[in-house]
Amino acid sequence: MESSDSQGKLNHMVETMEPNDVPAAEGATGQKDTSPVDMLRIKQQMSNQCFEMAVQLNAEKNKRSCSTSEAERDLPEYIGELERVKTLHFNSTLTLHRMQMWHAIGEKLNWSDSEADALKAISDRCMGLCSHIKHLQQESKKLQDEVTEIQKNRLEMKRLTHEKIKHMEESSKKEYPDMEKYKAALEKGQANLEKYKKMAIMTQNVLRGILLACKVNWLDDPKLRDIAMTLEEFPISE
Amino acid sequence: MSLLKPFSKLPGLNTANILLVESEEQFQQSLADVLVEETSVTVNVRLAKSLPLPMENDESRPRIDLVVFIINLTSELSLQSAEASLKYLDPGYFLGKVCFMVTNARNASAPAERLDAVRKLAASLHCPLLFAENQTPDGVASATERLLTILKVAAGLVPIATGLYVSNLTRCTLPLDIDQPSFD
Repeated sequence: MESSDSQGKLNHMVETMEPNDVPAAEGATGQKDTSPVDMLRIKQQMSNQCFEMAVQLNAEKNKRSCSTSEAERDLPEYIGELERVKTLHFNSTLTLHRMQMWHAIGEKLNWSDSEADALKAISDRCMGLCSHIKHLQQESKKLQDEVTEIQKNRLEMKRLTHEKIKHMEESSKKEYPDMEKYKAALEKGQANLEKYKKMAIMTQNVLRGILLACKVNWLDDPKLRDIAMTLEEFPISE
Repeated sequence: MSLLKPFSKLPGLNTANILLVESEEQFQQSLADVLVEETSVTVNVRLAKSLPLPMENDESRPRIDLVVFIINLTSELSLQSAEASLKYLDPGYFLGKVCFMVTNARNASAPAERLDAVRKLAASLHCPLLFAENQTPDGVASATERLLTILKVAAGLVPIATGLYVSNLTRCTLPLDIDQPSFD
């Protein structure tokens, strides 16, 4: 078998000022100044690695035989369960950190030095802003309610208008059977009116003719004058 | 049998060890050059043409956190060599410590069946399958970034994730129509 495990052991050059034959496998070399943050990080890494190895050991103990398809089927459930627990754990850790932070801030506020004063000033400002926010929110809620009220009224009005229009349309349609009778009566009345009008005009024309022909002086006599004036009201011929 | 075992040695502090296996020994060199430039973690890169690794180096070799098989799709030998090397890995590696990297996937001379075969292999082993472009420095850089992400998890350097957990998210899955002929 070909196997030139070509020792391309390319070490991380930057940090090693030391001679190159230091095997990186030991890992304990490269002593730069490790800050507490770095140490915490490395500690977390180590606990993660130990956890991995512990999982492997446990897996050996809890072996049971099952087919691949069974395993494939069960896998999503287990993953779901794992996700759930991880999220729960993460959220709890976040809450814990929050509590720790607040505790630390509280402790700090109890001392009285310049930083505590700054913290106090900031927290007072926060309180002021928060109450202002609450106030504004209440106002906006009130205004929103009023707007909603007005919109409701408008919709109500619209509805009523529509109803009235519908009623009107219906009632205008309903008159129809009676309308026939009214129309007939109206026509008869109009015909009568025309007849009497013609009679009146004819009588007037006759009277006018008589007045003209007899050369009656109707201006002097008041009674005759009244009658002559009324002759003007109707047209001579319709 | 000289199986490579994942947990037989102690890990180093803030260190990750990666083994690149490629039968052509080209891409692994350029990958390695970029991999060691990572600053937050000490990355040790070991190169091999195939497994099993020589016994003489067994003592000095550190614990390998991630084994990457680089397969060139234009050569059948590459795939066969990778498949043959799989036998020399302890099964414990396949729980998130093995990765397949494929180059030249867009090359016209690479038959589609070979890519399907690699996909099926990766899916059956529950390993991630990465595609890389090895001709340009940008391609090498992006391939390195992705490898580093997987490497950091496999080495246990990421606090909440372990290789096994993440492997459920990164494993290669087969599209449903892989058994049907492709449109060519």
